[in-house]
Amino acid sequence: MGKDVLRKRMQSSPFFVVGLSVAFVIVVSVIFLPFFTGYSPTANSLTSTFQKPDWLSHGLSGHILGTDELGRDIFTRLLYGGRYSLFIAAVVVLLQVFLGTSPGILAGYFGGILDTIVMRLCDIVLAIPNLILAIAIMAVVGVNMTNLIFVLTFAGWVDCCKVTRNNVLVIKNREFVHASVVLGASHGHIMFTQILPNVTTHIIILASQRFGFTILLEAALSFLNLGIQPPVPSWGNMIAGGRSFMTIYPWLVFAPGIALMLCVLAFNFLGDGLRDVLDPKRN
Amino acid sequence: MFRYIVKRLGQTLLVLFCVSVFSFFLIRMAPGNPAVMMLPDGASEEAIQEMEVRLGLDQPLYVQYFKYITGVLKGDLGTSTAYRTDVAQIIAQRLPNTLALTAVTVVAGCLFAIPLGIIAGSHKGTAVDFFTMLFALLGQSMSPVWLAVLNVFVFGVWLGWLSTMGTGSVAHYVLPVATLAYPMAAQIARIGRSGMIDTLQEDYITATYAKGIRRFTVNWKYAFKNALVPIVTLVGMQTGAFIAGTIIVETVFSWPGIGQLLNLSVGNRDYALVQSVLLVSAAFFAVINLIVDIINSLIDPRINLR
Repeated sequence: MGKDVLRKRMQSSPFFVVGLSVAFVIVVSVIFLPFFTGYSPTANSLTSTFQKPDWLSHGLSGHILGTDELGRDIFTRLLYGGRYSLFIAAVVVLLQVFLGTSPGILAGYFGGILDTIVMRLCDIVLAIPNLILAIAIMAVVGVNMTNLIFVLTFAGWVDCCKVTRNNVLVIKNREFVHASVVLGASHGHIMFTQILPNVTTHIIILASQRFGFTILLEAALSFLNLGIQPPVPSWGNMIAGGRSFMTIYPWLVFAPGIALMLCVLAFNFLGDGLRDVLDPKRN
Repeated sequence: MFRYIVKRLGQTLLVLFCVSVFSFFLIRMAPGNPAVMMLPDGASEEAIQEMEVRLGLDQPLYVQYFKYITGVLKGDLGTSTAYRTDVAQIIAQRLPNTLALTAVTVVAGCLFAIPLGIIAGSHKGTAVDFFTMLFALLGQSMSPVWLAVLNVFVFGVWLGWLSTMGTGSVAHYVLPVATLAYPMAAQIARIGRSGMIDTLQEDYITATYAKGIRRFTVNWKYAFKNALVPIVTLVGMQTGAFIAGTIIVETVFSWPGIGQLLNLSVGNRDYALVQSVLLVSAAFFAVINLIVDIINSLIDPRINLR
């Protein structure tokens, strides 16, 4: 697929353009804006609790979205929370791709008993709904950042594995693979230089879709106090913390809620757009 | 048909066996000695050892597992450390609440989303289609956490129309069901739409048009049935995962079901309960998937041959 075709498709997919732009703005904001706001995300300031949003009347140095029950700047916490969410989602999705693709290729390529074992393993993980699996493991192994990443990864590598395996099953019977076998190529060479490039499109699409899902799952765990632990901010635990003050100061819940929705929406648009743009079956 | 069902049944049992082994060892990895947790603080060394013998913790792991699994098959899920009663009893008390919530959600979600998806798919590219896709993408991006809290704020606090706590009347169902049904309806509408688009491209549909059958009849009689297969699979998966879906909603709306129980048990470090909820939800998921596969093989006879 040529670069011109890709560019043309990107421009003609409104979902892709909107998703990419919003996602870009979010990623740049959470990485760079915390350097300019001048507040700590965790330090309490009991003299300035529940302040109304200044919006941009004081520029970046005011409480743009107001302060919470402990006088912490909500906008700063929102940015740091976004950093954690995006960082965790990125690491988790990369791990899922790596852990899912490798057994997927091996199972699809060699077939037989290996395939059966890998697929049954997937069935077992799939037999327990993601959130329940995550909650149960989190309850047992204890709550910290490493375990959170492990749990989220463990709950989601299966999709990647199954998609890869199903694609490999189709591709390994194509003529160019037979040609490589005849030419005496090794299994490793065929799997990773002949077949892998042909499944990457599907993996990229899947990974972009998993990204939004992982953010949602992390938010749910943090909301249930099994993810990122206060006082470290995350959108999920900010919503949980703000619930008690919802009647007097709803902004505490609305700010992280809207941020969460916008962010996941942007990445889902991007994922959907990517599918339109990269779909090999489309003319 | 019969052979297919037997094969799927065998697979289901195998998976459930593995899940039980997994959950058994997961809970053994949990920190803390269950014998100590059953006893009052500061119990003597002998009392702890006595309790370990009573709980069977002194025996090898495979014996413990065997005892555990035979107990489970007889309906004995162990004793809750937090409630000090039978786990099976606690679950039996709360399960109907979760089931009722799920049933209403699934019915409401399907009644709304299936027609929407079918209409969108058969009118691809129109305004109806665009708004259905927008509705679906919004729904998929909506965190249950945010949606639940937003519903409480708008309808409970701000407008004050509906109760946001507990169970009892029909009005209590509205907000939890709306929260659970929206993401579900979004996915159904989406799958229904793409299923319909794929089906309408098949040759047999062209043939029905060639015979002069009305478009409405083609859509709802001939195409609908085939577009239904992925929808049934999806609805089944969502129904099967209902305990997971209800954890957040039951916690926010104080709904006394299994999801809330799981959240409470994690906080109480009540591992026997966590383990049982894990097992019960996996069993439901497996059984519903089995039923879904059988329904699908009835709708589409080609599935048997795979």
